Amino acid sequence: MADRGRQYLILADEDLISLVDASDAEAFAALYDRHSRAAFSLAYRMMGERQAAEDLAQDAFLKVWRNAGGYRAERGSVRTWILSIVHNRGIDQLRSHASRRRTQDRVEASAPRSQPSEAFAEAWHNSQRDQVREALDTLPPEQLKILELAYFSGYTHVEISALLSLPLGTVKGRMRLGLKKIRDFFESRGAAVPR
Amino acid sequence: MSEMNNERFEDLRDAYVLDALPEEERRSFEEYLAAYPERQAEIEELRAVAGLLAFAPPEQEAPPELRRRVMEVVEAEAAPRRDRRESAFVRFLQYMGARGLALGAAALLVVGLLSWNVLLQGQVEDLQGQVQSSQGQVDDLQAQVQDAEAQQTQTIQLSGTWADQGADAEVASINEDRIILVADNLPPVPEGQTCQIWVIKGDVPESSGLFQPGGEETAAPITNPIKKGDTIAVTVEPAGGSEQPTSDPVLSAEL
Repeated sequence: MADRGRQYLILADEDLISLVDASDAEAFAALYDRHSRAAFSLAYRMMGERQAAEDLAQDAFLKVWRNAGGYRAERGSVRTWILSIVHNRGIDQLRSHASRRRTQDRVEASAPRSQPSEAFAEAWHNSQRDQVREALDTLPPEQLKILELAYFSGYTHVEISALLSLPLGTVKGRMRLGLKKIRDFFESRGAAVPR
Repeated sequence: MSEMNNERFEDLRDAYVLDALPEEERRSFEEYLAAYPERQAEIEELRAVAGLLAFAPPEQEAPPELRRRVMEVVEAEAAPRRDRRESAFVRFLQYMGARGLALGAAALLVVGLLSWNVLLQGQVEDLQGQVQSSQGQVDDLQAQVQDAEAQQTQTIQLSGTWADQGADAEVASINEDRIILVADNLPPVPEGQTCQIWVIKGDVPESSGLFQPGGEETAAPITNPIKKGDTIAVTVEPAGGSEQPTSDPVLSAEL
């Protein structure tokens, strides 16, 4: 059981990133194994279909490989950094094609939900996910919907305003209140917002 | 578009951290931010809140094919990158060396420049030292990899039907705060199913992570704390996991 590949598994993410920056492919493999599920889950949520999610996740992980030196520990965890790469590239892709996904969102947006969001309905097994879900559950559906349309579907506030036939000020207000509620959730428990 | 000012900055900052500003507004916002760097901290803080949304989607296992594709590219690029980095370093040293010699020649003509040359040579040595120091840090990490097995404070072998079939699995506790399950030769699970780790305290199973067995080696963090007397078990569950185990454990160990 004591082969070299396995020994990478016990290094911290920050150590693995340093090794990746020194072109260590095995360290990258360990990092990939640790974060591919979260990255692919986000990619799938953004792109809405499997092949596009795979392409996005591949693109993001290759950026991690090629730009590991760009990681800055003071700005957050390695996991958060990887997810931000997935997110940024996903937004670029969503905005570069007029995708079917957007049409689906248009349909979804027209049907108000009584539950916070189906996207958050599955069981969560990770404590950080649990906390985030709990925080999101405190949001009124109309605030959550706007955060979802912006974050996962890449709509600008102007587009959301048109999509939902809401004044721009209302959209911005709901964004502000939604993010504030999430932050308040952690602060009310004396916890810092996870990074 | 309105001119960016403090009021407008505050009006747009939430949309900015959600990447929801149109291009022109985003540029204008970032120009303002560059002019007032003291506001960067609040934006970073707000960005961290928005970034939590990345953890919201239901978990989806990344397909094994994706790993294969990514690793093919990574392995193909790894060796040339190492070579390129080394040769760039050699070129850098050659350049600095030649520069030092040129300055030395100049110093024969202008005595006053000699001390400058010495200074530059000192800088070259400092740079060499810095590069060597960086290399030393990487070497240290690589040494950690070599020695990592020794850092494992405790490992416990798992038994069960999969172990009987040739799987080799153990739970490793690292420095008492990181616990991972590592395994070789796990059998694949059918499409639409996943492996779920449970920490059983008394009779109560607590879901402690999902993983997809695949390839020669599997590793998964155990997300709940464990203590002596707990049992760790792995069951095969529907994709996304179950609230409670719905099948018999394929691997387990009592701590």
